[in-house]
Amino acid sequence: MQVKKQFKWFTIFEYEKEQDYLREMHKSGWKFVKVTGLGMYHFEKCIPQDVVYQLDYNKDGLAHKDEYLKMFDDCGWEYIQDFFGYSYFRKAVDEDGVAEEIFCDEESRFQMMQRVIKGRMLPLLILFFTVLLPQFISHLFYTRYYLIASLIGGVLAMYLTIFGMCFVKYTQYKNRRK
Amino acid sequence: MDQHIKKVYVPMTETAFFILLCLRKPNHGYGIVQMVAKMTDGAIKLTPGTMYGSLSKMEKDNVIRFIREEDKRKIYQITDLGLEVLQLELKRIDRLYKIAQEEM
Repeated sequence: MQVKKQFKWFTIFEYEKEQDYLREMHKSGWKFVKVTGLGMYHFEKCIPQDVVYQLDYNKDGLAHKDEYLKMFDDCGWEYIQDFFGYSYFRKAVDEDGVAEEIFCDEESRFQMMQRVIKGRMLPLLILFFTVLLPQFISHLFYTRYYLIASLIGGVLAMYLTIFGMCFVKYTQYKNRRK
Repeated sequence: MDQHIKKVYVPMTETAFFILLCLRKPNHGYGIVQMVAKMTDGAIKLTPGTMYGSLSKMEKDNVIRFIREEDKRKIYQITDLGLEVLQLELKRIDRLYKIAQEEM
């Protein structure tokens, strides 16, 4: 069996991009097997097919995994794996060319995003304000270790970019409802 | 009735509407998906992510309650509060429909 590995980095709210990536790979004959580490995607060679990939983030579902997976299985979705709280599912596009998704209204798409914020974003925010920001200020103004300060500054800038992107995405989702 | 419940469920999403409508009799998520497909001639196809999220949220809001588990499927039923909310929503839709008929 021919296999392939690809490293890809998706930030917190880029699960739609990730879904598209996996679908494109399957279309070009590489079936998703698993993701490991910080984002190493494993594929195996397959017949090219249009298969929709979907990510859910549901802690309650993971806590009641049997019932959760049963619901997806009943609806024809194949479960692949969990990764940092996300669950991966796939389903082939049917003969009529209708690509199904696991969410069917904007309200539930928004709720999924709120669960991601609570589970992934909140810990980052807490880390940001309780550790990184105070460290940055103390190195910059008190101990004057400018090298360390600039290193932390770089991480802070990255964080701020992610927060900014998340905020934009959040507003988009919120406005799409109703 | 709680203001929060009123705000969330009047008006409610189509998904929540069908869940309440179907759960006047005990049923599980996939059973609701099938019932709705049949009732609407396949026009509305509820999906598992939406169903799982909605059912747990509605259970927390106490408009439906968990009864038992059968073959890994959670069976739910509407509560008195759920029935009340459904009646309110039906009245709202009915009023809109009547207004539209008079106007058109």
